[in-house]
Amino acid sequence: MSPEAPSAPRSLAEALRARDDASLAALLRSRPDLITPVPTDLTQLATRAGTRASVLRALERLDRFALQTAEALAVAPEPASYDTLLGLMAGDVRDDTVAAALPRAVATLREQALVWGDDERLRLVRTARELLAPSAQHPSPTGLGPSVQEATAGMSPGRIQEIVGAAGLASTHDSVSAAAGLTALFTDRKTMAALLAKAPEAAREVLSRLVWGPPYGQVTAEPAAHLRWLLDRGLLLPTAPGTVVLPREVALHLREGRAHREPEPLPPAVEPAGTHAPQIVDATAAGQAYTALATVEELLKDWDEGGPAVLRAGGLSVRDLKRTAVALDVPEPVAAFWVELAYAAGLLASDGEADERYAATPAYDEWLERPPAERWARLAEAWLAATRTPGVVGGRDAKDRTLSALGPGLDRSAAPEVRHRVLTLLAGLPHGAAPTAESVLARLRWERPLRGPQRDGDGADDLRSRLARWTLSEAELLGVTGRGALSAQGRALLGAPAAAPAAAPEPSGPGDKLPVHHRPAALHEPLSTTEQAVATAAAARLLAPLLPEPLDHVLLQADLTAVAPGPLRRPLADMLGVLADVESKGGATVYRFTPASVRRALDAGRAAADLHAFLTAHSRTPVPQPLAYLIDDVARKHGHLRVGAASAYVRCDDDALLNEILADKRAAALRLRRLAPTVLAAPTDPATLLEGLRAMGFAPAAESAEGDVLITRADAHRTPPRTAPEPVPDGPPPPDTTLLSAAIRAIRAGDLAATAPRKPSGSALAGGELPRTSSAETLATMQAAVLTGESLWIGYVNAEGTASQRVIAPIRVEGGFVTAYDHTADEVRTYPLHRVTGVAELAEE
Amino acid sequence: MNGPLIVQSDKTLLLEVDHERADDCRRAIAPFAELERAPEHIHTYRVTPLGLWNARAAGHDAEQVVDALVQYSRYPVPHALLVDIADTMDRYGRLTLSKHPAHGLVLTTTDRPVLEEVLKSKRIAPLVGARIDPDTVIVHPSERGQIKQTLLKLGWPAEDLAGYVDGEAHPIELLEDGWALRPYQKQAVENFWHGGSGVVVLPCGAGKTLVGAGSMAQAKSTTLILVTNTVSARQWKHELVKRTSLTEDEIGEYSGTRKEIRPVTIATYQVLTTKRKGVYPHLELFDSRDWGLIVYDEVHLLPAPVFKFTADLQARRRLGLTATLVREDGRESDVFSLIGPKRFDAPWKEIEAQGYIAPADCVEVRVNLTDAERLAYATAETEEKYRFCATTETKRKVTEAIVRRFAGQQILVIGQYIDQLDELGEHLNAPVIKGETSNAQREKLFDAFREGEISVLVVSKVANFSIDLPEATVAVQVSGTFGSRQEEAQRLGRVLRPKADGHQAHFYSVVARDTIDQDFAAHRQRFLAEQGYAYRIVDADEILAGG
Repeated sequence: MSPEAPSAPRSLAEALRARDDASLAALLRSRPDLITPVPTDLTQLATRAGTRASVLRALERLDRFALQTAEALAVAPEPASYDTLLGLMAGDVRDDTVAAALPRAVATLREQALVWGDDERLRLVRTARELLAPSAQHPSPTGLGPSVQEATAGMSPGRIQEIVGAAGLASTHDSVSAAAGLTALFTDRKTMAALLAKAPEAAREVLSRLVWGPPYGQVTAEPAAHLRWLLDRGLLLPTAPGTVVLPREVALHLREGRAHREPEPLPPAVEPAGTHAPQIVDATAAGQAYTALATVEELLKDWDEGGPAVLRAGGLSVRDLKRTAVALDVPEPVAAFWVELAYAAGLLASDGEADERYAATPAYDEWLERPPAERWARLAEAWLAATRTPGVVGGRDAKDRTLSALGPGLDRSAAPEVRHRVLTLLAGLPHGAAPTAESVLARLRWERPLRGPQRDGDGADDLRSRLARWTLSEAELLGVTGRGALSAQGRALLGAPAAAPAAAPEPSGPGDKLPVHHRPAALHEPLSTTEQAVATAAAARLLAPLLPEPLDHVLLQADLTAVAPGPLRRPLADMLGVLADVESKGGATVYRFTPASVRRALDAGRAAADLHAFLTAHSRTPVPQPLAYLIDDVARKHGHLRVGAASAYVRCDDDALLNEILADKRAAALRLRRLAPTVLAAPTDPATLLEGLRAMGFAPAAESAEGDVLITRADAHRTPPRTAPEPVPDGPPPPDTTLLSAAIRAIRAGDLAATAPRKPSGSALAGGELPRTSSAETLATMQAAVLTGESLWIGYVNAEGTASQRVIAPIRVEGGFVTAYDHTADEVRTYPLHRVTGVAELAEE
Repeated sequence: MNGPLIVQSDKTLLLEVDHERADDCRRAIAPFAELERAPEHIHTYRVTPLGLWNARAAGHDAEQVVDALVQYSRYPVPHALLVDIADTMDRYGRLTLSKHPAHGLVLTTTDRPVLEEVLKSKRIAPLVGARIDPDTVIVHPSERGQIKQTLLKLGWPAEDLAGYVDGEAHPIELLEDGWALRPYQKQAVENFWHGGSGVVVLPCGAGKTLVGAGSMAQAKSTTLILVTNTVSARQWKHELVKRTSLTEDEIGEYSGTRKEIRPVTIATYQVLTTKRKGVYPHLELFDSRDWGLIVYDEVHLLPAPVFKFTADLQARRRLGLTATLVREDGRESDVFSLIGPKRFDAPWKEIEAQGYIAPADCVEVRVNLTDAERLAYATAETEEKYRFCATTETKRKVTEAIVRRFAGQQILVIGQYIDQLDELGEHLNAPVIKGETSNAQREKLFDAFREGEISVLVVSKVANFSIDLPEATVAVQVSGTFGSRQEEAQRLGRVLRPKADGHQAHFYSVVARDTIDQDFAAHRQRFLAEQGYAYRIVDADEILAGG
């Protein structure tokens, strides 16, 4: 560890330096933007943590109570002691719940490097203070106005004297001490109470109107007597001509010390709307999961021979979406969900041809081969991570263009996080409990109060709430939840333990020693790719036994229907799909045999005998006579008429002449075929045929040509290989542990490089100067470092001649190159030794 | 999770009949699901809003329905479907029609927005009067049927609690000497009476007339019976005299020939729907007495004007009798709203299994057109095509062969085209009953057939309905009214009555191959196949060789 932490850090950088690795890791985990790229040292980290963009991002991610705490700190004097803060949050009466929750909030703010300093001197990062402190332009959510000090800053000393006099304080000519005196008066509860007791009734009413904000009011040039009374005593201070403000101290007195009208220390509970038996929940979800698979298959089967066209601007036309909805027998928004789901899972894409169409990808064929549970897991995984939100389909973007399914503009970067959060909330309930949507939304709003109102909203709900609603309904569609409660497989998908986890341990005191970085990470952070793969596999394992076992038989009935009392094995289902029309779907499938459907099977190359054998083999019951008769009857007629392709024909009433032509060797090249006694057909075009016959000495005449046969394409339509769309997160991904520890090492190393004393290494170095050593010494030090695994600080000149210093951990030295892990760049790099200007060992920690 | 029921996404329910819990399941779902198809292994039921409201009307609630589905389902039932069922059932009963002591008939609601919604409808506005309070509106008493019909179309079916008038009392008893109502008939009467009004669905030959008689014995009041034609009217009368305490004099016939109005009056649809100078002169029949019960025979044939009159009769008890609720015109919802919900039905096969109707062997004989006929068929006008193929020469030969094969048994030959029938009659040496045959002559021939004096009878479609030919064991159908499914059911019904000697019944359909005759036949037979009466298909050569 670094040397003894100074008792009172003087800057954020110092405060950071005093934190241990775990605590830094917690900071970087919650604010991943700070390590892209990895800062060179803690000073740079501190600077970056104070930038407006980063602070804003961090504030947006605070829950309501932490945010309220930060807002309170912004209106408190700088620095504020913990007790002052407690007073602002819990009020003079010291609300116990607030007092109990405050240490956690302060710890959160500290962890996020928004607040630093010990309990006696809590400081809000300056940028945060600027963002949260009340000003005339940005009224604070606290509803508090400027302090006396701020409000009197521009006032004439004479005016201040009058007020001080009216308030009954000793007069002083110094405006600053006068304001301080006034502040002291206003913060003294007893004196204030006495003062206000004398106030006229109307004046008290004015105060009560301004107390919870907004604190500004309008006055006329000749204020009424009760306003006069307030103005004279400084209880209202003028800010601009005609405008007065209630000074913060006065408001706080009237509020009994509270900065917030309603502090919300506790997250609103997610209330269960009903509880179902876990088995029912799991079974219902599994049933829905099965439906999801069937729907996606049906969708892509429908598009098998070339799906709908891609709009010029991208996406699916409204008409095609409608048609798809009808085909799937679902409402349009649900159809949009299935289409987008298949797209997110990489199962369908645009084929990229001249007349662009949507079609299944090769991945779809692979997907089909997998067991049902895995197929579902793939869909669920894609859904969890997707930033595309089918919910906005049909809405309009900023340029008033309709958002179409599969089209551009559907990415909402908050989607995966909201989705994960909603499911995590569900996971927090006992197994089988289904929450009300409203309580989930309320909880989400508490957790991210600033993320709420966004321009995307078209009225009632903000984007996060809408995302949450969509999550709830989509989870139900996909079978992640059943009857509104998270299923066991859904739980596994989150990587959550089977039972609801115990509440996270609360830090006992307000101290700086115990940052809250050991919350159960699995429940709060989305999983990394590998962890997600493990979780998904676990979910698939849980789901597998719940899915109905595919059957290998159907029941044939005399009304020419076949009922499959459950899902069918694939080859059987495929064959039946050709031989009969699907009449009703669901748990079972009802097929109807019609002459047309039987003909379809015969067209597909089956013989009547095959069909009889197939039905006999797969029917539990004897094949009904009418069905057998139907097949024979259609087969009897099938192929009675024959259709073939020919490009030219020869017609002649004299069949002897045609015999002659056929017998002639020279006609072999024309490949003539006799269709009837008086007709020959040829695959060559009429011109060639005419030519050939003329060459043989005949005198044929051309007839108007007709009867060309088109060859239809029979293959299923596929795109070239396509990858699934990448989710578009807003900001860098949360770093994993390896990256975090590496980054921290790098920062510390950089920090040490910049600030820590170095071992004398040949020549003494001034701070910030590149080390300079002889090449022999460089080589020796490098080789030693390879053996010891130590990191080195090197001076390096790159190809452009720019000098830099880097902290590297050499891995290999050979052929004039050193291969090393570069902490500064966070990757393994190779440097030519001749460009290394010098090397220094890092000081021992 | 190994129930007999599979719930499909299109809201059909598949019931595996061989499953050990199939019977329990059938009982559980019957109240709300309509039996659509009942072939040998898997029965198909359909859940429709109408069916769900039927169930509500019969006192079942959504919870029972959902329970039944969940309990017997083999696979998890989609949540959305359960929600949809609950929502649909919840729509019933938000509006009620009832009697208000001061204002007469009123429509009240338990859910004000619903009332607001329906009152906004242009079709409802003329049917209602003043709004008494926010939840109640007056309905013109004469529009009771109309408003029920309209509300159903709007998706807010009203529960009719306005009750019935008792009508003029008249003593009627069943005379159960040597016979008794069969259990399912008793059940049907009981269900109907308990429900107030409604439809009883029973296969042909299962004794629907007795259900009517039983209901009359319950009502003990003057009764109006509406039947399809005069022959049918006579049979009703004959049956009522035989089975009940009613005498000939108490039963009147109101038809083209006779206009009697008695405590029990049997009228034909035809006379009621006769229009003279734009008015229906015989409508006053409905008001001529204070009827306590109205019986509609063959509800599926109820002509459109009768629906209109029925709308005005909502205060009387109404009983509909039919073999099938399938209407070729798709007006099942009018039957529901005007006559009443289905109160009882039983699959044909089930009644056959109990021995009340005879098992039948259904055979379709495919005949080939001769070459000359094929050419004529190919060149015929579209509207003539059916006639061409249905009356092919070969059919006559096949019919003769069949008649020869069953010589000595009672045989009916049924057809559509008079020329064809006349020719057949000549060749078979059998009398022909057609439209121009007088009623007296018809009854004489029917009697002779019953007595066994003649064994072959050729009939046109005039004999489609309600003639009772107990000893017919073989029916040969040579042509029909295009693809009419209910005609097929009626004709099969001719041979389904239990035979004294336990003979198996035979039903032959002679069909010309590769023509629209075959397509129509397929359409007609689908209903029977779905009822479990599967056709065998044989080639004409087989019959000709055998004969």
